Amino acid sequence: MKEVLLLSHVLFGVGCLLTTTWLFVDVLNAHEGNLARIRWLSRAAAVFLWLAFVIGGYWYVVDYKADKDVILKGPWPLAHNYFMETKEHFVITLLLLATYLPIAASNNLAVNRDARRLVLCVAALVAVLALMAEGHGAIISMGVKMGLLAKPI
Amino acid sequence: MENNAVSKNTTSFGLSLALCAVANALLVIAKETSRSVANRMQKATGHHWVTHVAIVLVLFGLFGWSFARLNGGQGPKIPVNRLTGIVFSGAVAGVLIVLAFYVLAG
Repeated sequence: MKEVLLLSHVLFGVGCLLTTTWLFVDVLNAHEGNLARIRWLSRAAAVFLWLAFVIGGYWYVVDYKADKDVILKGPWPLAHNYFMETKEHFVITLLLLATYLPIAASNNLAVNRDARRLVLCVAALVAVLALMAEGHGAIISMGVKMGLLAKPI
Repeated sequence: MENNAVSKNTTSFGLSLALCAVANALLVIAKETSRSVANRMQKATGHHWVTHVAIVLVLFGLFGWSFARLNGGQGPKIPVNRLTGIVFSGAVAGVLIVLAFYVLAG
């Protein structure tokens, strides 16, 4: 169950990243014909991020302590002391940005250049922070692996 | 024809986002540097992080809702390009403060 949670967390995070990238490209070419898709994509990105956040948050609160102990006793304590500590906090800003994306995309982007710039800015921030979160997650997983490998047989 | 106005919710929640991103970072510093703040956040929900998330989300909703009621319910009147700058600066500052704090704290 724990593994399913972790994989779902990563899957929905990647879903948010891909959806936001698609949205970004669509907004660069915004016209009346793709406005409905842009709004749908913005909502999908927010839903993906909320799912990733809630699942990851549940795992962090309920299951992470055992992994944390392994990391701290292993050769990569930084995986917790820096990467998990920063990830658990900057993803809150990521959640706010993803939640804001559908609000910003609700304007008529086909005729409003400034609103397009706003959505492009928010989408770019979501994509960069989502990528950062994925990278941090990979380092945290590696910290656990290194901790387990370092244990005497 | 170009129309460069955005909805009042776009402006209000954009400003709220910028404020809350910075508030999130300041809450990290408060929690990590004050044992009593960390303990109170721990006791409030059973886990400091859950309390942290709840505080930021409530503030986001509250600020956004309050800003939308300004100017007789029309929301704040600021140019969209300025709003974009505020959203970008707030979000980037919030993240950089968190990243820098743990570098310095470590």
